[in-house]
Amino acid sequence: MHDNKLSVILGLNGAGKSTLIKIITGNIKTEIHTKNTFKKVFYLPQNPYYPKGITSFDYLSSVFFKNNWKWFLSKEEKQKIIDVLEKIGLSDKKNINIENLSGGEIQKLNIALGLLSGADLFLLDEPSSNMDLINHIKILKMLKSLTSQNITSVIIMHDLNLALKYGDMFIGITKDKKIVQCGVKEFFSRENLKRIFDIDFKILEDGNNIYVQNID
Amino acid sequence: MAYKKGIVFTTLITGFILSLFLCLFYRLDLSNGEIILSYIRVPAVIKAIISGSCLSLAGMFLQTISKNPLADPYLTGLSSGAGFGIVISLLFFNSVNYSLFGFFGALFAAALVIILSGFSKFSITKLILIGLSVNLFTGALISFLILLNPLKSYAMTLILTGGFSSADVSSKVLVSLFISAIILCGLFVPKLNAMRLDNRLIFNSGTKVNLYNIVFIILAAFLTSISVYCAGILGFAGIICPLLTKLLLGNDSRVLFFANILTGSTLLLFSNFLAANIIYPLEVPLGVVVAIVGVPFFVYFLLKKGGILNNQD
Repeated sequence: MHDNKLSVILGLNGAGKSTLIKIITGNIKTEIHTKNTFKKVFYLPQNPYYPKGITSFDYLSSVFFKNNWKWFLSKEEKQKIIDVLEKIGLSDKKNINIENLSGGEIQKLNIALGLLSGADLFLLDEPSSNMDLINHIKILKMLKSLTSQNITSVIIMHDLNLALKYGDMFIGITKDKKIVQCGVKEFFSRENLKRIFDIDFKILEDGNNIYVQNID
Repeated sequence: MAYKKGIVFTTLITGFILSLFLCLFYRLDLSNGEIILSYIRVPAVIKAIISGSCLSLAGMFLQTISKNPLADPYLTGLSSGAGFGIVISLLFFNSVNYSLFGFFGALFAAALVIILSGFSKFSITKLILIGLSVNLFTGALISFLILLNPLKSYAMTLILTGGFSSADVSSKVLVSLFISAIILCGLFVPKLNAMRLDNRLIFNSGTKVNLYNIVFIILAAFLTSISVYCAGILGFAGIICPLLTKLLLGNDSRVLFFANILTGSTLLLFSNFLAANIIYPLEVPLGVVVAIVGVPFFVYFLLKKGGILNNQD
């Protein structure tokens, strides 16, 4: 994985994207030897479970109970939570129960969990599935801005154009189970996309931006 | 939060004190009140408090780690495991401390459940189903042992139906066991706040989640064995109290810890009082009364605030 970049994993359903992430987290044991240069890893699965009946503040505070033998949060930890809520733009919803938040807001809270845990590698498995375009973009923007704070993100997603706009590095899984990792220009070439998605794409270049559209 | 924590706790404490006094002093014969108090009522009250709080704490642990509102010490086989251990000790080791056997029985059941539901791919749904099977199996074994040994069947049936009347339990042992269990729980309870998150979320390199799952199952086994030791197998309190407190107070395990101790003991104290007085000279089996008292309360709150318990929607 490239440090401090937003990598996007693309591929067809069943190609092995989630499996690849699970191999990176070590949830699936393989013979591939992985070398971990990151301090802490945060992995967000698809559709994570969340407990009901607690406020978003309490939800975030859960992180701090994991490795400590204490009953109460310290002042710094409370301040940290408030800062993170500010950062993700939910400070006005601090005391609202999470079951009353929207899906996008809960997903932001989940990412905030990762921030609080102090992880520097985020592995997100379709963080924006079932989400409308605006929330999708908001989450990608947030992750993109995190890369300037030494946080590396790896995201599985399906929207090619959004991936193009926000991704730095691209990892594709081809139909014959080969993994391609490269930058924008090489990845979004006709041959490469054909290898991954098995259909033809039209690639439009407009200054620095690239757009893709499928050809029937 | 629809209900203020202060109001809920005040109500709980009032209820607790009220049922405590009812249990101790209602229809107390003044001429030999001291003897009745010290030999019958105080031990019964101690047992009620201990078994109630142990059961509801165990239920809370199991429900939080499994994220399933159905999990409780009865359904996951811990109660019957403890009951089985105690029955074995009644049959074959007359002089030995029963609670030890209860603990090992519950632990054995817990270990069986954990191993069968898979150490490496620990699935919580599997845990519940396997627990259910273990529960049925050990329950059948206990019934079988009772049939085979008619001489001791009364003591064993008491374990199965639940009640505070078995006199051969020393309060000192119980209280010391209970206090040590509560201290242990107090150490681990804040960790439940982290356990309420999705199990697959990882914020450490190297997961400790399964380790904590197992720690909490062992704690639940310990608590269950204490409760079975003093009051037999009571199916209902362990599932209802944690759910009720969660409905009323939300999902902070530090708050729920105290709330569960209070609700569990209040439920059993009040049921104990009713069991002794509802048809006066007769004593109604405790399990029956617990259900009669608890179910209406529970269903009322479930209908009113049940949304919290849905896993996801």
